[in-house]
Amino acid sequence: MLEVKNLKKRFRLDNKTLRENKKKLVGHRDEREQGHWFNAVQDVSFSCEAGEVLGLLGPNGAGKTTSLRMLSTALQPTSGKIVINGEDVVATPLAMRKQIGFLSGTTSLYHRLTVRENVSYFGKLHGMSDSALKLAIDDVFELLDIHSFADKKADALSTGMKQRANIARTVIHQPEVIVLDEPTTGLDVISAKTILEFIRSYKGSNVPVIFSTHHLHEVEKLCDRVVLINQGVTQFNGSLEAFRQLDDSHNLYDIFVKLVDDKGGA
Amino acid sequence: MLQVYLKELLELTRDKKTLIFTILLPTLIMPVIMFGFITLTTHIAKKAIDEDLSYALVGGEHYPELVTTLAKNNKLRKVVVPEGAGSDEAVRIVSEMINKDEIRFAIVVPKDTLSILKEGLSAELKMLYNDSATTSEIIFGRINKSIKALKTKERQKRFSQLGLTEAQGKSINNPVRLVKTSTAGERESFGEKIGGFLPYILILIGLSGAMYPAIDIGVGEKERGTLETLLLTPISRFQLVFAKFAVIFTTSFVSVFLSLISFALMTLVFGPAIMSGFGAESSEKVGELFEALSSISLTDILLMFLMLVPVAAIFASLLLSVSIYARTYKEAQNYMSPIMMITIFPLILPLLPGVKLDWVWASVPVTNVSLAIKEIFKGTIDMQILLVIFGSTTIIAGVLLAICNWWFQREQVLFRN
Repeated sequence: MLEVKNLKKRFRLDNKTLRENKKKLVGHRDEREQGHWFNAVQDVSFSCEAGEVLGLLGPNGAGKTTSLRMLSTALQPTSGKIVINGEDVVATPLAMRKQIGFLSGTTSLYHRLTVRENVSYFGKLHGMSDSALKLAIDDVFELLDIHSFADKKADALSTGMKQRANIARTVIHQPEVIVLDEPTTGLDVISAKTILEFIRSYKGSNVPVIFSTHHLHEVEKLCDRVVLINQGVTQFNGSLEAFRQLDDSHNLYDIFVKLVDDKGGA
Repeated sequence: MLQVYLKELLELTRDKKTLIFTILLPTLIMPVIMFGFITLTTHIAKKAIDEDLSYALVGGEHYPELVTTLAKNNKLRKVVVPEGAGSDEAVRIVSEMINKDEIRFAIVVPKDTLSILKEGLSAELKMLYNDSATTSEIIFGRINKSIKALKTKERQKRFSQLGLTEAQGKSINNPVRLVKTSTAGERESFGEKIGGFLPYILILIGLSGAMYPAIDIGVGEKERGTLETLLLTPISRFQLVFAKFAVIFTTSFVSVFLSLISFALMTLVFGPAIMSGFGAESSEKVGELFEALSSISLTDILLMFLMLVPVAAIFASLLLSVSIYARTYKEAQNYMSPIMMITIFPLILPLLPGVKLDWVWASVPVTNVSLAIKEIFKGTIDMQILLVIFGSTTIIAGVLLAICNWWFQREQVLFRN
């Protein structure tokens, strides 16, 4: 189980941004800017049970990626708690990394290595033995339909192939929590379908999956829970059904726009 | 950590740019360019020594012996100047002919040459040639040599008129001579002359060998989006930094090592052949040079490499810090030029006259290593200073690595984009 409590993250603004901000009118400034600081994430809380798929929604710049980066230990929270299966992620980030599989929106592969070499490399970095790695590679390549291009160099792959290889790299060490930041962005229908099917395969397993997306139809098809972040704050946290009930139309798109507009995001 | 190191090396060996900058450039391209340049220069000089030279003689009738002497030289071809031209006009014509490359030189003999010689004074023959030609000095030397017999004959005539022997005559200009006798051996003397260039070349090759890999595994990884993934593996940031540092250090050192081997092989194989092109005298000098170089022991070579170890470590830490700070590949490349310039300055210092390894210069980073290598090359290194330089350079490298590690821990640096 994953629990995120009152997560906060602030960044120091660089001089260039500060200079630009001085030129802006007061009403046009982001409310999260305070002096030399930018409160990217102000208060985010949610939880995800094993076997659940949680959809993280929010407009651009809402704080989704920063929240996920804190979850993955790439960034250290200014305050708040992240707990995986009772263990504090913030206190022991190095040890907890073995339990987390994270795919960021900007991640890539080593383009001079083959897919197999890329995935093996990360498996070995997570301390997997050769025999365990071989079995895990066979399984995950099968699930993501990678075998046909497993020995091709990453720079020779299509975007969809690369993303499938990225996901294989993310889950090769069999993490206890999977975090995917916009995994289907920019993909063709077939590749996106493969990835969504892969996410679906974790439903009912021991692994909670958190994925952020702008595609509401994916949320509708896959998610058990929905969290909406806006202006660095959790604006909604509940089941997909509860989210649907927020508007008589039950249309996720309308609900999303209404919530974000009410708060003044995007 | 070893996994990261091996993977980075594997990736670099699959990259054409790294292979060119780290292996091909120092081992093949640079020596080939250098030896190609030397071979070409040798060829041009040899041609200038052997080629037939066409020339004109203005006022040859004023010194018939000169005409005969030059005519005896079968490598010189006399071109006739238009008859009836006055002396000044003839000089103008031959000057034009030289500039148009119709002749290579001309000798102008003044009217009063014979009378001056009879009076026992020094007659002045004017040699006209195009000074802008690269081989002009060689041509001047050849002509001077071909009239040497004429000059010797004239001198002997004057000595006999004065009742002097050849030796007595020669001593008139130098009754007391100060003869230079160096106490330095061949190796020390040779080392003083060229020993400063060796560290200059080696350290710059080490720097250039480290540059591209540093950019590739620092900001390159940041820009490609693989760094964030790497940061999420259960490996400490220090281990990541150290693995990357070790890769850059390896490539830097491999560049230096390969270039040294390559230069040594090329010198052994092509050096004698090139120098023999300049004649027996040069071949003899090459022999002396090789004899001097052969006194450089394996220990000396190992000491030189040992001194390069902390320097390569300094470059690796510095370049990795800069590379990891940069937002983009282009930004990192912009930082590399000032680093190159800052490195060149302390490397030039040992080439200046009067800069010798003492306790003051031993405290100047990079310059001290350069001076130490020069002293090792000369065979005059003070081991106490050497140890101090090695120790202080290692400490600097360690401090820079610690700064690089601190840099690598900062979110503002890693996620600067």
